[in-house]
Amino acid sequence: METRLLSDVGLTLNQHPNLSSKSADAIVALITNPFTSDSTVTSLLETLILHLQNPNSNHHKLLSLLSALSRHHPRLRHRITAAAHAFILLPSTPTPSLPHALSLLDPDHSAPLDPFSDESLFLSLCFWQCVKTRGWTLRNVSKFRVRPSVLLTVLLGFTKDPYPYIRELALDGLVMLSNGIVVEDRSLVEGCYFRAVELLFDAENSVRRSAVRAVSEWGQLLVALNSDKTKRYWSDALFVQLCLMVRDTDMEIRVAAFNALGKIQTVSEDILLQTLSRKALLATKEKHYPGQCTAKLFKLPATTAAFTFGHGLEDEFYQVRRPACQALQTLTVLSAQFAGGAVHLLMDMLNDDSVVVRLQALETLHHMAMHDHLKVDESHLRMFFGALIDNNALIRSAARKTIQLTKLQELKMLRSCIDGLIKNLNLYPQDEADIFYVLYQIGQRHGKFVTSIIHNVSQELEPSFDGKLVFNNARTAALLVLAISVPVSFERMICSIPPEIFSYAVTLLGRLSRALVDVMDQNVLLAYLSHCSRFTVASNSEKFEGEVLNFHLELKKVAISSLHDYPLNANVKASNCLEIVLRKVVDLWPLIQLGCTNEVVQTSRNWKEELRNFSCESRQPAGLLFFALTYLHVIKLLGKAWACTQRNLQFKGMGFLDALLSKMERRLKEMLYRFAGLSREGKLHILELMLVTYTMSLSYSGACYFEDNTKKLNFVLSRVEYLQKEGSIELSKFVIELQNISRENGDSEDGFVHKLDLLQKSLHLFSLKYIPLSGELKYLNAELDVCDNDFQNPFPFISGLPVGLPLEITLYNISSETRLWLAISLGEKSTQFVFLDLHEFGGCDAIRKFSFVAPFFRTPKVKHFLLKVSIAMECLSEDQHFKHCHGPKHELIYLCKGKEVHLSMAVK
Amino acid sequence: MAIECLVLGAGQEVGKSCVVVTINGKRIMFDCGMHMGYKDKRQYPDFDLIPDSCDFTSSLSCIIITHFHLDHIGALPFFTQNRGYSGPIYMTYPTKALAPIMLEDYRKVMVDRRGEKERFSSEDIVECMKKVTAVDLKQTVQVDKDLQIRAYYAGHVLGAAMFYAKVGDAAILYTGDYNMTPDRHLGAAQIDRLQLDLVITESTYATTYRDSKYVREREFLKAVHKCVEDEGKVLIPTFALGRAQELCMLLDDYWERMNLKVPIYFSAGLTIQANLYYKVLINWTSQKVKDTYVTRNAFDFKNVCSFDRSLINAPGPYVLFATPGMIGGGFSLEVFRQWAPCEKNLVTLPGYCLAGTVGHKLMSAKRPTQIRLDEDVQIDVRCEIHQLSFSPHTDAKGIMDLVKFLSPKHVILVHGEKPKMAMLKERIESELAIQCYYPANNETVCISSTHHVEAGASDAFLQSCLCPNFKFSKPNSERDSDLDDSNKRTIVCDDRVAQGILTLEKNQNPKVVGQNEFMEVLGVENHGVKFAHCCPIYLPDSESRDASGRSPSALLRLIFEQLSRAFPGFDLHDCQEQIRIRSFVGSFCSKEKCLHRTDVSLHSRVTHLCCSWSLADEELAWKVLSIIKNLELANAS
Repeated sequence: METRLLSDVGLTLNQHPNLSSKSADAIVALITNPFTSDSTVTSLLETLILHLQNPNSNHHKLLSLLSALSRHHPRLRHRITAAAHAFILLPSTPTPSLPHALSLLDPDHSAPLDPFSDESLFLSLCFWQCVKTRGWTLRNVSKFRVRPSVLLTVLLGFTKDPYPYIRELALDGLVMLSNGIVVEDRSLVEGCYFRAVELLFDAENSVRRSAVRAVSEWGQLLVALNSDKTKRYWSDALFVQLCLMVRDTDMEIRVAAFNALGKIQTVSEDILLQTLSRKALLATKEKHYPGQCTAKLFKLPATTAAFTFGHGLEDEFYQVRRPACQALQTLTVLSAQFAGGAVHLLMDMLNDDSVVVRLQALETLHHMAMHDHLKVDESHLRMFFGALIDNNALIRSAARKTIQLTKLQELKMLRSCIDGLIKNLNLYPQDEADIFYVLYQIGQRHGKFVTSIIHNVSQELEPSFDGKLVFNNARTAALLVLAISVPVSFERMICSIPPEIFSYAVTLLGRLSRALVDVMDQNVLLAYLSHCSRFTVASNSEKFEGEVLNFHLELKKVAISSLHDYPLNANVKASNCLEIVLRKVVDLWPLIQLGCTNEVVQTSRNWKEELRNFSCESRQPAGLLFFALTYLHVIKLLGKAWACTQRNLQFKGMGFLDALLSKMERRLKEMLYRFAGLSREGKLHILELMLVTYTMSLSYSGACYFEDNTKKLNFVLSRVEYLQKEGSIELSKFVIELQNISRENGDSEDGFVHKLDLLQKSLHLFSLKYIPLSGELKYLNAELDVCDNDFQNPFPFISGLPVGLPLEITLYNISSETRLWLAISLGEKSTQFVFLDLHEFGGCDAIRKFSFVAPFFRTPKVKHFLLKVSIAMECLSEDQHFKHCHGPKHELIYLCKGKEVHLSMAVK
Repeated sequence: MAIECLVLGAGQEVGKSCVVVTINGKRIMFDCGMHMGYKDKRQYPDFDLIPDSCDFTSSLSCIIITHFHLDHIGALPFFTQNRGYSGPIYMTYPTKALAPIMLEDYRKVMVDRRGEKERFSSEDIVECMKKVTAVDLKQTVQVDKDLQIRAYYAGHVLGAAMFYAKVGDAAILYTGDYNMTPDRHLGAAQIDRLQLDLVITESTYATTYRDSKYVREREFLKAVHKCVEDEGKVLIPTFALGRAQELCMLLDDYWERMNLKVPIYFSAGLTIQANLYYKVLINWTSQKVKDTYVTRNAFDFKNVCSFDRSLINAPGPYVLFATPGMIGGGFSLEVFRQWAPCEKNLVTLPGYCLAGTVGHKLMSAKRPTQIRLDEDVQIDVRCEIHQLSFSPHTDAKGIMDLVKFLSPKHVILVHGEKPKMAMLKERIESELAIQCYYPANNETVCISSTHHVEAGASDAFLQSCLCPNFKFSKPNSERDSDLDDSNKRTIVCDDRVAQGILTLEKNQNPKVVGQNEFMEVLGVENHGVKFAHCCPIYLPDSESRDASGRSPSALLRLIFEQLSRAFPGFDLHDCQEQIRIRSFVGSFCSKEKCLHRTDVSLHSRVTHLCCSWSLADEELAWKVLSIIKNLELANAS
């Protein structure tokens, strides 16, 4: 049967090249029958291919048979492709058959003579008189690898085609092209854009739909081609042009329009505001943009944008409402005022009947909250908190996520928020964990309000008369969660929460820990609750707060620890603690800025304490610890000094600030020089703090040290520059600003006198960052001991003659290259320096211990006197010159505290 | 050809909509409404103004009714039964279904209750409806050979439609009442971008900008929810059709979402019957209703049950829908009398209440108040009053948006108040540059209409139309620098659509031919203006040079070389005896007396180059000639 069919087919094909439908059916039967033998299929294929080359055959039918063959017998595909390829290259091949043959080819498979990169073939297909061919070519335009300029020209030309679907395809092609093409010719891009704009007024829906996309894409290109000055203008023009389309009566066009609106990066605020108002606003009334308003009006008034989003959100189709919400998400970031208006619309969307839209609206609100553009108004509350009792779990969860980030301005609002959450909990107990978490977060954000709420309802939280605690009650549980969140509040002013409440909360431990699993584990929670419940009413709020912050720190610490799950190695723990402290220091910055000196002082003191405790337990490398301690000290000083600058300076006097600043400077220098192994980032950090010190000093403390400070500032800046040259380091805005000021200043003699306001302003750019510490730090230290000397056992001396002071000296981590001096001072004014040549004393750099008899030459004519001896390191890198004739030339850093040596006239 | 538009009703007023439009000889009556405010002959349109009023059936091609409101259909039974119109009447399916209910209800109220003179009877209504042909949305109906009509969705009320009518090439759209924003149960108006000569649009809110519908909904829901939360009862007096369903759907949704268990009741009667229709005519409702239809009919309200009179004073909160809307009497008044004294209760009022109804009194009064029903009865009103501002008409922005979208050649405003219409007309004319009119009742507006002429096309023209032939032009920016920005960009045009010549021969149909055939068709030759100049070239006359060696061809080559240097960009042809640059042709003139020679030279050694060129290359030609002349000078020296 099979062979007979095959021979029949062969025969008829030879006689009638114009394939009859009967034999075509026979061939189809052979192809589709899975039992047809391979040899038959192969010979059938060869027959078909042979006839394909005959110019008189019915190519259309042959090609469709071949494509059927290629579908059913993939192994022959290669052969068929080759045949189709050969067929295409035949000069006799009629153009109308080409698309069909081309569709048999694989465009990704590049042959030496690839028809898909043949420009003339492409053009002949495009310009063939048959519309179908043209349509096919345009539909497959992405397969052709011809020059983009050719493609662009052809596509642009076809936007004028009288056939709507060719216009549509041409526009789609332009959209495709816009993604991968770089066009420099502005007029060409403009040409494409305005052509697409023209087609926004096409009578055919599908053309308009494609035109919206094309306008969006080419509009973006056009905007990008503009200089920064005109960018905004063109972006506005594009926005308004797209706004016109949201009133189209075709749903898909509206969807496309809103999708396109959501992609726009910049829009003027007045136009954005216009999209919320039905009436023409004053600001936009007279504005016109290049574009098209109707098929005949070529000026686009800005008022076209009127109520765009209102219409979008009111749309009948959820398919439109959703992208409208989505577009708001990107645009509300641009303007706070617009966001404020959009909130009204979005809140109403929470009443929408479609879940998708409600969800999207909440997502947009959430996005706004993240960008701090969500201002909840009292009129919204009903809608907003209504979403909490929505019967869709996704909506409720999204609503809670948004509420968690929202800052509520009034106590009343917080109350209804909490009521909403409690209602949610009552209706949907399955949400409990999430609700508790949100309550905890809200409590953190609104400590002050929550405290007052808890005080109002504390009666409810008390055990009832029969002595039973009714914490199963959802409301009570929720209020308890809220209450325990207060101590970790970010707010400053915290009144106390009755400690009993924390002990009540212990009864909910399991439920609470499940909810707060992201914040702390159960043990910590228990520790926290029992810790808080120990307090009696804290009268000393400062102390209380310190403790609380301290505790908060520990909470965080444990949170981190539980994340990493490290073994309880004390050493690691301590260094981790150190790191946590250093990280937490950053959080002090807002407090410093607010001028909460007490809190800062208290906290840093607590942290110091904690660090010391840890280091006692562990054999912690001393370097890091000392570094951290010094750092905390500096921060404390900074806090005090900052508060000084903010307040009325007359109050404490200039001297106070100066003292603070000079202390800071000294500490910072110590940090810089007494620790070996500081990373460049670390150094930069310290230098930046030094800059802050000098800037504060310059801008607030008057003229007395002006020149001096200017010099120091410039010196530090040059060091920063030097660091920067060594390797790429990102400078903070503050430093860059200072550099600019200094550069502007040039070498002028009077320094920064005329730039004080600039300096003051630059301080606002500063913010505290995390100081990264890597590896080990070596602490350069010295210990000094004077043997057998105290008030009662003074060393003898003879007035006018030198005296020797026997000293025991231990040096840590000081290399023999360091220039060390013994500073022996008599009273405030006179200091004598003795150079210590370390090469003489042996020992290693890590520790060096030796005895040294220091000579003191100018013994005064008194019976008793007191000398202060200390060891100082000369900082060669410091620029400053001292005028000691035999002393150090550079600035000194003291490595130990001054030791008192008592001397008394030798009794003969 | 022209379109004549005779406004019989709703011209500069709201009520008795009726517009008779004559398009290319076909006469259509759009709507046949009655005015509810009048009792005299002004109640109905003045049908006698229609030309050939003795025989309406032959005078009018058809009547089209947009929706079932009485101000759009109220006069129809009178017109068909009393005035004898028996031609075709078109309306949508829902209108056909609901119109008799409305008409019958009105007739009952007017005639049976108030004892007014009967203008039409129940039988009239039935007979009238028998003449109606129902149409579907977007269904093109061929009324007769030339007249086509098509309905588009208009929102407003169930079954409301805008009607498109086309006679020959003239097309118009009559909007009826429409709404451009969707509500809970109906969608927004939907229409194609049509080529229109005229749009006749309603303009109820010609200058009003309405709030977002969400604000209205939010306030309504808030009021209702608050009332039932406080254990109060809510009375919602509504009209049976439209608003009742919308509010009911709104509440049902809200109840569902907020898990409210408070019952909602629907008082019996017309409303229940109307609900039945709504359930059947689901295809005419909003997208949302259609979407949910797969799972359940949105008009099968989950939380709504029918009301029993005994429940009026039942304890506990509930919501009740009752007719009529303006509390003018009937059941809603009965309930109102019982509930009004209680502070916890709530009564919602529709946006518009007729003067004389309780609703109207409540709207203007401050609470608490006392309302006198008649001589004896006085009600203490202490309950909450909430005024609804739902309206199914589009606002000014909606009208502008629709007109902008359709961009017709002319607009006629009807169904609105005169001063507001005037303002809207100004806006349409200034912002959209569209001619706009707002005729008063019984006035006629005439506008010109599009008229297409059928023309044949030559084969060559058709052939040229098949292949794309587009061109890009970028106008010279220097030349157009004074023009505005739009002229500088790349412009595309496709010649095959643009280029063709319409020929009209005697006693033959007009025909379009291609540019190339044009001469042939006319049977004439191409004439062109040519310039000619016979340019003298003075050859050096010194005998010492070998002048004879300068043969004409050598001279020609010399000229040619010079020219190619001067015009590097042009295609120069040197055809032995001639020089060609574009249309410029120059060759040696052997004639003794050439017509184009201007100089009378006695110079012995002169030879002439006879040149000709066409108008387009005039500038070029003079440049060439000046070069040739200079060449002679160079030679002479």
